[in-house]
Order: sequence, then C-alpha cells, then structure tokens
Amino acid sequence: MLELKPPLVLLSGPAGFGEYLKLIDHRFVGAVVLKTVTFKPRGGNPPPRMAEGPFFLLNSIGLENPGVLSFLEDLPKLAVPTIASFGGETYEEYLEIAKLVKDKAKEFVAVEFNFSCPNVKEGGLTIVRDKEKWRRLLVELREILDDSFLIAKVGIEGLFVEDAAEMAYQAGWNGMTLVNTVRGLIVDKGKILLGGLSGPILKPIALRAVYEVKRRFPNLYVIGSGGVYSVEDAKDYLMVGADAIGIGSALFKDPGIVEEIGRYLLEVRR
Amino acid sequence: MERFCLTKRDVFRVNEDTWIVSFEETIDFLPGQFLMVETPKLVRKPFALGYWGGHLAISVQIKGVGTSWIVHESKRLKAHGPLGNGFVKPGKGALLISPTCVTMAWAFKKFMDVDVIVGSRTPVLLDLGFETVVGDEAFLEKLREVSRKDYDWYLVAGSRSMEKVCWEELKGKREVYFSLEEYMACGIGACKSCATLTNFGIKHVCTDGPVFRGEDLCWS
Repeated sequence: MLELKPPLVLLSGPAGFGEYLKLIDHRFVGAVVLKTVTFKPRGGNPPPRMAEGPFFLLNSIGLENPGVLSFLEDLPKLAVPTIASFGGETYEEYLEIAKLVKDKAKEFVAVEFNFSCPNVKEGGLTIVRDKEKWRRLLVELREILDDSFLIAKVGIEGLFVEDAAEMAYQAGWNGMTLVNTVRGLIVDKGKILLGGLSGPILKPIALRAVYEVKRRFPNLYVIGSGGVYSVEDAKDYLMVGADAIGIGSALFKDPGIVEEIGRYLLEVRR
Repeated sequence: MERFCLTKRDVFRVNEDTWIVSFEETIDFLPGQFLMVETPKLVRKPFALGYWGGHLAISVQIKGVGTSWIVHESKRLKAHGPLGNGFVKPGKGALLISPTCVTMAWAFKKFMDVDVIVGSRTPVLLDLGFETVVGDEAFLEKLREVSRKDYDWYLVAGSRSMEKVCWEELKGKREVYFSLEEYMACGIGACKSCATLTNFGIKHVCTDGPVFRGEDLCWS
C-alpha cells in the first residue's frame, strides 16, 4: 500500500517536475506526480495553450516533455516522495517505456501511466478505445514493472471508469487517478480552442467517478482529482472513498492551498 | 522566489483603462522580472515589477473582473515572485512602452541609462515622468525619431501590435529586445502554458524570458 503523509499529491501536469516545491512547505506534500513523460521528446502544442472561464480552465499543453531517455538520464531529485508518470503514443511505446524504466522504477514510490491525455493525436485518451487491447496492455505493463506500485490515470471518456477500474484491478494494478481532464472546446474571440477541461467544473464528475470505483473496488488506491480548491473539497473526496487527494489547477490560483489541505489531512489521518 | 502578501498603498489612474497600484512592502528584483498575483479568478496574473513614487508598484490594465478587482476592491494581494530573468544592459538604451509598463520603466531607470517613451492610445491623465505621446500617428513619428538616434539597445514592452510596428522600424538595429506577455498560469516553469514560438522552437516566457531578442521571435 502507498503510505503518503499527508495523502495529498500534486498532480501530473500542473506540478511540472516539482517546481512548486520552491513555494510550498514540504511537510504538507505527500508526493509529486511528475509531468507525463513520453517515449519520444515532445515539443507540445503551439500556443495558445490555456484559457479560463468562470469555473474552468482549458489547457492544450500537448505533453511537452524531454522524452523517456533524457528523463532517465537526469532524474528529478525532489525533497518529497515522487511518482513518475508515463504515456505512449502507441501500444508498443507504452511497453518500451516500461522496459526502459524498470531498472530505475525503485526511485519512485509509484509509477503512473497516463491513459487519458485529451491533447495528443495518438495515444493518450485514444489508447483505451479498444478495450481488449488496453486490457492486454495493462497485463503486460504489470508483468514488466512487477515490483512497482502501478497507478492508471483515466478520464471519463473512452469507457466507463468502473469498467476501466475492473480491468486495472484484474490486471493487478494497485491504484487509479480519477479523473484526468475532459475534452472541451471554447470559442474565444471568434477562434476555436480545443483542450482538456479542469477546475471546479470537474469536481462533481470526478466525485462520481471515485464513488463508482471505490464502492466496487475498495482495495484499489484512488487518488481523487478534479476541482480541489479547498479543505471542503478535500472532505468531499474523502467521503466518497478517495485514498489521496490530488491538487492540480488550484496550484495556479494559490499554492498556499496545498498547505491548508495538507495540514487538514495530516490531522484527520493521524 | 517566494510567496508573500502585498498591502495596497495607493492607486493612480493612468489613462482610460490602465492604473498604477503601489504597495507598502518592497522586495528585491531586477528590471524585467515579474510577479504572479492572485485574483478572484482561477489563475494568477503576471505583472511586471516596478516602482511608482519610490514604492514597489505594478501597472494594471483592466481587462476583466480579475484586474478590476485588483484595482478597485482588493486591499491585500497574495502573490509570488520575483520571477523570470532580469534585464540589465550597459550602454544607452531606449525603452518604448505602453502605459501598462510605466512602473516597470522606473525600475529600468534605477538600474540603467535609458530614455523612456510612452505610447498611449488614449489621453494620459497623470504626469508619468517620461516623454509621452498619444495616438498611433504620434507614436509612429516618435518611433522613427528614436530609431534615427541609434541607441546601443532598444527594448519594447506593450501590445502585440505595438511590438510588430516597433520591430518593423527597428529590425536593422544591433540589439532590439521585446518583453513578452503570454497567458501564464504558474510563472515558474511548471505548467508550460506560456509557450511562444521562436526561431529556436518553443520557448517559455516565464523561464526563458520574459525578454527575448527580436530576431529570435517569429513575427509572421
């Protein structure tokens, strides 16, 4: 089991490669999930990459990252437990990444695979469309990274989260991050911007996802993520069964919220 | 870089939509650096660090509820900074700015030998302490005059259209710089949202800038 103190993670994407630790008291961060690293380096999507509305952010970063080889040559050394995040553009790339990572997997308290990025043309969200293929992928990744605490990050598109959870559980995975951003579109000054929605708008969707998964698979470790901006939000996630609370977009509003929620979680999980 | 709270000291109106907000506290920073300020909206907003009347200050163009809140309603502002790379140059420079950068200009004056020209689309309501021209035609005339003087370096900070006009006039000069504004969420290199296309690929305004050389930017 993953024992994070507090059970609070800074989520992949907004947390970058740990930059926010310069602004946050480490005692209140259970772990940082690093930015998703892909097989090949990715320059990301052209700007504009982000927009906001009253209750949401829309991002189209496009998994900008140095690629797995560069990442492994220069692993981030953070002052808090670290969870790596990986994503492939194809079935084979996921497997290649797992093989490359295997020798260094012990550097991380867990390894997350991102099966849900909405901002890439290949891989990401599309990998779960073929259920049987995804089931085989989960099994093969589990076999390669047999010693790692494996977490599947999924969204609400492609398949029901409870079905995704069942496949992950049966393949021997340890946890899930629920949920990734949801595909969205806004029209800004006459221009269409596609991206992934996050922020407060995501919270009821993510709460339902956590609820559905935890009541069926109580032994799956679930990081609840989506619209956590306050201690009250964190309480709601604990109520529906989340084992840990993920903070993403709220970092952009106030990094100090991590300390408030972390302090609360340390108190209630003492 | 650290988190802190700033206490508003004074607010001054510069023109139709731009204000100067000064603070009681001070922080150490270099010209060109910025800070991220919390608003009632979901994402902190970047503002160039500067001075007004000897006090730490930012210039705020009201674009929506967040910037309006900073100017009209807030008393204390949560922020983090200083962020980005400082810009300090030897020699005689020319700084061409919009009113949204007037406080930044005072930081440049503190560290460098620089002539400042402010170009405003609407009448200016305050003595900014710098040569100020109003309207596009007046600014273009001033820009040509500044170009003829052959400064050691030029820096432009304003709207995208102002940057383009200045680049067209100044691109033959040795050193021409632009302080860019892009939508930014973290200001510290984590989120990768402030990407800008350059001739060397994607760069990030928060960590690679905010000041870039003109010839490195994609102008099309």
